[in-house]
Amino acid sequence: MREITHPKIPDSSSAVLEAGGRSILLCNSGGTHYAIENRCTHQESPLAGGRVRNGFISCPLHGVRFNLKTGEPIGDLARLRVKTFAVIETDDGIVVALD
Amino acid sequence: MSEKLKLGEARAPGHTYQQAIVKDASEPPAAFLETSYEFLGDGDIPYTNYTSRDYAESEFEKLWPKVWQMACREEHIAEPGDYQVYDIGHLSAVVTRTETMQIKAYFNACMHRGTALKSPGDNGSCASFRCPFHGWVYSLDGELVDLPESWDFPHVTGDSHSLRELQVDTWGGFVFVNFDPDAEPLYDFLGVLPDHFKDFDLENRYTETHVCKRLPVNWKAAEEAFMEAYHVKETHAGGREFSEPVTTYDVFPENVNRFIHTVGSVNPRMPEAPSEQQLMQMLWGRRGPEEGECPVVPAGMTARDYYAGLVKQQLGETYDQDFSAYSTAQTLDSIEYFLFPNFFIFPGLSLPMAYRFRPDPDDPDYSYFDLFFLRPKHPEKETPFPPEPLMLDVEDSYTLSEGLGRLGAVYDQDTDNMAAQTRGFKTCAKRGQTLGNYQEVRIRHLHQRVADYLES
Repeated sequence: MREITHPKIPDSSSAVLEAGGRSILLCNSGGTHYAIENRCTHQESPLAGGRVRNGFISCPLHGVRFNLKTGEPIGDLARLRVKTFAVIETDDGIVVALD
Repeated sequence: MSEKLKLGEARAPGHTYQQAIVKDASEPPAAFLETSYEFLGDGDIPYTNYTSRDYAESEFEKLWPKVWQMACREEHIAEPGDYQVYDIGHLSAVVTRTETMQIKAYFNACMHRGTALKSPGDNGSCASFRCPFHGWVYSLDGELVDLPESWDFPHVTGDSHSLRELQVDTWGGFVFVNFDPDAEPLYDFLGVLPDHFKDFDLENRYTETHVCKRLPVNWKAAEEAFMEAYHVKETHAGGREFSEPVTTYDVFPENVNRFIHTVGSVNPRMPEAPSEQQLMQMLWGRRGPEEGECPVVPAGMTARDYYAGLVKQQLGETYDQDFSAYSTAQTLDSIEYFLFPNFFIFPGLSLPMAYRFRPDPDDPDYSYFDLFFLRPKHPEKETPFPPEPLMLDVEDSYTLSEGLGRLGAVYDQDTDNMAAQTRGFKTCAKRGQTLGNYQEVRIRHLHQRVADYLES
C-alpha cells in the first residue's frame, strides 16, 4: 500500500500534500485528522484554504461544504462526494493511505 | 366555576407562582415577581388559521417580511467571512461578519440573475460572496467588486448592483434580521426583554446543542405546544394526580409573553402538604434510577433550596464554573419568554433552551423547530464552536441527540400530539380551538399579533 506521512497539524487547519500525482488535503477538525482530495466536486477548485470546523470544510470559492469523514457535500451546489483517504495517527505523525 | 369572579380573574387554586418563590432562601429576580395578565377574550381560534393555504400565504406576504427574527448566535459568525443563512418561507438572508467585525445581512440572491449565493440553512466562511452561476463577486461589505465581462454591462455600477442589505441588530448574543427597511428598531420590538434579562448575561453563553426537527403541524400550533403548562399533567405525567406545576402566565406589550413554573414546590391542590423530604424525592425521581439514593434534606431547608444547591454544584463541576450566585428560581424553574412571532428563550440554569419555529414554505401542515441549548461561557477557556445542527425528520426521536439528555424523551411527548392535532383540525365539528382564559392566554396573544399584521 502506498502511503505518505506528514506531521500533525493544528486544530481547524489544513495542509496540502502532493503525492503520486495527487493533491491531498490533510485537515484537523476538533483534534481528529482527515485526508481528502484537494478538489471540490462542484467546480473542481482546490479546497485548500477553506474553513475547517465541526468536521466539515468549506470550499473557498462558492462555499460548498464537505463532511471530512464521509466526503458527502451539503447544499444545492454539489452532488458528488469528495474522495477521502484513510489516516492513521502515529508517533511520527499522520500516515495517509493513498490507495 | 365561580360566579363571583369577572372574566379573566380566575386562577388555579392555592398560591401563585410569585407567592411560591418568595419563600425561597435566595431572592428571585425582580422580573419574576411581576405579573402582567389581561383577559384577551374567549372566542374560538379558527382552525383555518392553521390549515388554510391562503392564510399561510398572507403570513408570508404580510407578517414574515415585517418582523424581527433570530437568525443565529453571534458565535455562528465569530470571524470575518463567517456566514450563516437564515431562511423564512421563500425569503433567505445571508448574515456575515465583515473585515471590521461588523455584522451585516444581505438578501441571499445575486444582483445579476437572482441566483441564491448560498444554500438553504448553510454556514461557512468565505473571503467574498461569489455567485456560482457567472462569478459576480461581492465583498463582505456587499459591494460588487468583480463583474466578469464588464464591457457588456455599462448599465451596471457598484451603486446599482451591490447586495441589498437587511436590517440587522443584536441582543443577548443573538443576531436578529428584519427584511423590512422601514421596520421599527429591534430594541423597540423587544419590549420588556432587555430589562427583564439585564442580569442574565445571555451574551456570555454559547451554543452547546442544536437540533432542527421537522414537525407535522402548522408553525403556530407547534409554538402553542410549548406555550402553556396545562398539558404537563396529561402529556408528560400520564395524568398523575397533583402533577400540575404552579405557573404564572403574563403578556407584555406588544410582542412578549411568558410563563414561569416552579420546579419542586408544593402543589396547593394536594389535600395534605408533602414534607420537604417527599418533595425532594419527587425532584430526585425526575433524574432517573441511575442517580441512586435520594439525598436527605437538611433540617431547616426546603427541598427546593437544597436541590437548587445540588444542581448548581453539579453543573458547576460539569462546566468548571461557579454558579452559586444563581437564585433558586433561576436555577430550577421553567422560565420561558416568547418574542413574537417565533422565538423563545429560557434564561434558567438547568433549563437553558432557546427555540425558533419556522413555517414550511410550501405546506401549512408542517414546520421546523430549531432547539438550542445555551450554556454559560467559561471566562477563561476557549468557547467551543457552535455545533452542526442535528437534522431530525418527522419520525425521528429527539433522543437521537445526546446533547438533549433526558429531555429528548420529553420533547418526543410534546411532538407526539402534533400530527394528531393537524388531523383533528380538519375533522373537528366545532371549527375552532377553545382556549383557557388564563393558562392559554399566550396562544390567544400569538393569534392576535398575527392578525394585527395580516389586517394592517
